[in-house]
Amino acid sequence: MKQLLIYISMFLILAGSVSCNKWLELKPNDGLVREDFWKTKEQVSAAVTGIYASMLDNTTGKTWAMPEYLFIWGEARADMVSPGFATRAEEIDIVNMNILPTNSYANWRTFYETINYCNTVIKLAPNVMNEDNTFTQDMLNRAVGEALTIRGLMYFYLVRTFDQVPLKLEPTVSDNDLSSMVKSSSDSILNQIVSDLKAAENLLPESYGNTSVDRGRATKYTAATILADTYLWMEKYAECAAQCDKVIASGRYGLVNQETSLFNALFWIGNSVESIFELQYDAQKLNPFFMMFAANSRRWSAASHLMEEVYGVDMVNAIPVKDKRGDGMALRAEDATIWKYMGANDAGTATRTADQSFAHWIFYRYADILLMKAEAINQLDQPIEASRLVKTIRERATALDFGDAMDSTSKSGMEEYILQERSREFAFEGKRWYDLVRNAKRNNFAGLRYLINSASKSIAPDMQQSAYAKLRDRNSLFMPIALYELQTNKLLVQNPFYK
Amino acid sequence: MTRKKLFYMMVLICGVFTACTKATLKQSTTEDVNIVGYLRQHPDSFSLFEKVLVRAGYSDYLNAYGAYTCFAPTNSAVQLWLNKVKASNVEAADINTLQDMVKFHLLADTLTTASFKDGKLPVPTMFGQFLVTGVASGERGSSYLVNRQGAVTKSNVRVGNGLIHVIDQVLEPAKLTIAEELAAKPDFSIFVEAMKATGYYDRLNTVDADTAKRWMTVIAESNKALADSGIFSFADLKARYSHTGNPAGATDSLHMYMAYHILSGIKFLGDIINAPSHQTLQPQEVISTQLINQEVVVNENVFNGVLEKGMTVDRVASDNAATNGVWHSIEGHYQVKYRKPTAVYWDVATFEEILKLPATYRKASKDFVRQSEADQPLKDITWGWGALAGTNVLSYYYGPTVSIGQYCNYQDAIKMPLGLPNRPTYLELRTPPIIKGKYKIWICYSARNQSTSSQQLCEVYVNGTLMPRTFNFVVKRPTGTNAELEAIGYKQYTENAASQMVGRLVGTYEFTTTDRQIIRFNPINGTQNDNYLDMIHFIPVDDDQVFPRFKPDGTQLFQ
Repeated sequence: MKQLLIYISMFLILAGSVSCNKWLELKPNDGLVREDFWKTKEQVSAAVTGIYASMLDNTTGKTWAMPEYLFIWGEARADMVSPGFATRAEEIDIVNMNILPTNSYANWRTFYETINYCNTVIKLAPNVMNEDNTFTQDMLNRAVGEALTIRGLMYFYLVRTFDQVPLKLEPTVSDNDLSSMVKSSSDSILNQIVSDLKAAENLLPESYGNTSVDRGRATKYTAATILADTYLWMEKYAECAAQCDKVIASGRYGLVNQETSLFNALFWIGNSVESIFELQYDAQKLNPFFMMFAANSRRWSAASHLMEEVYGVDMVNAIPVKDKRGDGMALRAEDATIWKYMGANDAGTATRTADQSFAHWIFYRYADILLMKAEAINQLDQPIEASRLVKTIRERATALDFGDAMDSTSKSGMEEYILQERSREFAFEGKRWYDLVRNAKRNNFAGLRYLINSASKSIAPDMQQSAYAKLRDRNSLFMPIALYELQTNKLLVQNPFYK
Repeated sequence: MTRKKLFYMMVLICGVFTACTKATLKQSTTEDVNIVGYLRQHPDSFSLFEKVLVRAGYSDYLNAYGAYTCFAPTNSAVQLWLNKVKASNVEAADINTLQDMVKFHLLADTLTTASFKDGKLPVPTMFGQFLVTGVASGERGSSYLVNRQGAVTKSNVRVGNGLIHVIDQVLEPAKLTIAEELAAKPDFSIFVEAMKATGYYDRLNTVDADTAKRWMTVIAESNKALADSGIFSFADLKARYSHTGNPAGATDSLHMYMAYHILSGIKFLGDIINAPSHQTLQPQEVISTQLINQEVVVNENVFNGVLEKGMTVDRVASDNAATNGVWHSIEGHYQVKYRKPTAVYWDVATFEEILKLPATYRKASKDFVRQSEADQPLKDITWGWGALAGTNVLSYYYGPTVSIGQYCNYQDAIKMPLGLPNRPTYLELRTPPIIKGKYKIWICYSARNQSTSSQQLCEVYVNGTLMPRTFNFVVKRPTGTNAELEAIGYKQYTENAASQMVGRLVGTYEFTTTDRQIIRFNPINGTQNDNYLDMIHFIPVDDDQVFPRFKPDGTQLFQ
């Protein structure tokens, strides 16, 4: 009897242990692991889409959405915007050139998240060829090309904002990949961007056969455009002009014509014929701008001098000549609202509501190609040809002639004029600060006055003298490395300006 | 017996176990050090400064709870300073000198570099003098410069009881008064002589124990600045201004000249440009200041459409701290200007924001909406937030074909809802510059009832003073001759004689300074949207109050 009991209990234990073998399974049952992914072409496609999705917002919830950084990095330190009544203290510190390493905008994490997605695709997509026979070489080229393009774009923003950053080209797919990294020099980062984009240009198609997809996914010409901008920053003007010519010769892009409302085509509808690459927000995925620009919670508004000094106010003609890019497109003059992202019509009467806050963030558009080319060929001593391109842009916008006239015979005059024209054309598109720095640093900071003039408009009067002295230090043009990064990556060295 | 054994064994076992657990409990909640703790952690850099703290008797309280900012000089800086004060080491130095030195490096607040401006820090040092900050750009890049002496080599070190900024030179307070500092500069000999002659030298040479009275700011004119105006010696200056022959008397113009160059309070250039005007020691006289193309300019004003050029402050030679204030150097000569009171016919519908809209200004109406109480869309016009959010709208009204607007000056006006309980509680405007003197104030509006029973009785405050008469936005002008109307406080201010165009005298006010003034309308009875304000006239009491009248095209009619 006793033995029987023992047998029964032993049997039960045995039965119990074998039936439980799922417990020993280590795979998560609420997610996918890498070994199960990267098997089919659909999965590659999903991973590539994930790269774009990561740019629409932050993925960890610990940082701001990428366009918020793009706006603040590109505009806050320059003279086109001024803080509103709800501006955060750390944003005002950026305006006044008082950035501390604890400032939450001095944080590159969002960009490295996207870079990691790109690195993952570049590393793991090629192996899918072995797993899925329907995954062709063309598809692989496209996926890798898109990842290379976005990675180049991300590093281009980082190198212009931080100067030196760690150049991470391998994905972080497991804890074993976590390691400290040193900063790379800006030259080696720029060279990497160039080689990435050159490779991407050859891998990417000219078009995906759909206009709106062409504006939202990287094409051959997206890569060419970013490369043009990179060459311009590197002061390689002939190469920049050649890249611009490629895009011009493609015939796929053009300026929105004069009769159409520029605001409507570019910012209310989006995906215009002029656009080259943009972040396509829609009703399902809203941009972060409503809380930044709406009158009730306004953190940023247009600077007060824009109408008089940048676009010009016509007091002479009975029917005033109006620069189409000013009141009703870039801003609403009466209350300095940043209209590109807040407006709902070009009459200046209706604003977007919170659930309509899906104006696209435009990285590049055709006007940029023309003005980049103008800047490049002007540096190659062709100011007259450059002035023709500028004229094209001005005529499209029915720009008002005021102040100093364009001097198409002088290289330095044209340099200044092109910079002004860019501020009119790309107001609030996150380009102004980089334009100023690029023009200021040329010929060993011969154009420092561009930065000083901008500071004299945007910086609080009782901090201006300090700011001028700070701007003379090249390192002050770049943001500090966030304190958190310094604490976790001991190999990083802080920018010496922020001692 | 066995039980007893067992019991002993258990006791032993227990003993063994308890004896083995020597728990090390952490007594502190944080490992953060305080200011002195930080200095002790880095003896390579701060051993000397730490010794100074100990010797001065301050190390204990700096290592306790608090909120301080400490400018910590490095060892090499302290050693240089010791040599300067002729002490071979910290122990040999005079204890009072050490205490003063430490006090000058300590602030009772936590200030990061983000609050460093071009000028003084917001709180004084424990020594009593303010520190001046700035940025210097040199071979090795730009760095913050404190008191024009020490460069910050490491900033914003956060410790338990405050912040530390490391500096490469010991800061030394000013030792001379404003008068002594100026007297030591041969470039200012004429100005100093004038200071002595007018009796201001003694005043600028004392350090008042009462800090409310101690601080003064002097805008000094160098000999060169005076020479540019044809004054080459004190005799020239005296000959030009001293009409009574006794510069020490308050009515003498040389005395006024000197008083007009002294401001009360300590005002570095960073403070000067943050306010549009500053009271001088000359009673009721202000200087106006503004920032034009990065230059600080004094007394550049537009009066009746005429621009008077101002004088530029020499930035490099300014912001000189002294024991009782600060002095600046100006590049030109200026004196109090005596101006005759002049009428200001202020078109309130011409304000900065509407001027930026050429397609609207004098062409169409436009609403300026305030979205929330904190929102201030207009620079010189504001109002008390109305409970009904939608009433917080100031309209620029242009009505060339409508009776409300067609007779107005330039056929435009501003329209503002007013009145409790739901509409804005007051309307406040900043006037153009008005020369000091006694003026009659006329409110010129286009009368309108929103509904037949509407009332909008308002009282008017000028610079906070209540005017004796009220006016009502719905009341039309009574009939009568010009003289009859003026006697009861009305006038026809437009060319058109329509009774809705009302000029209403609210009172007489003496402006004590030549400046931009504040005028406020307080609704006290009734409420409506349709309050059309066209102009406000400030007319010197002795001038004609009725003419000029205004035509719809803006021209003035003098009879």
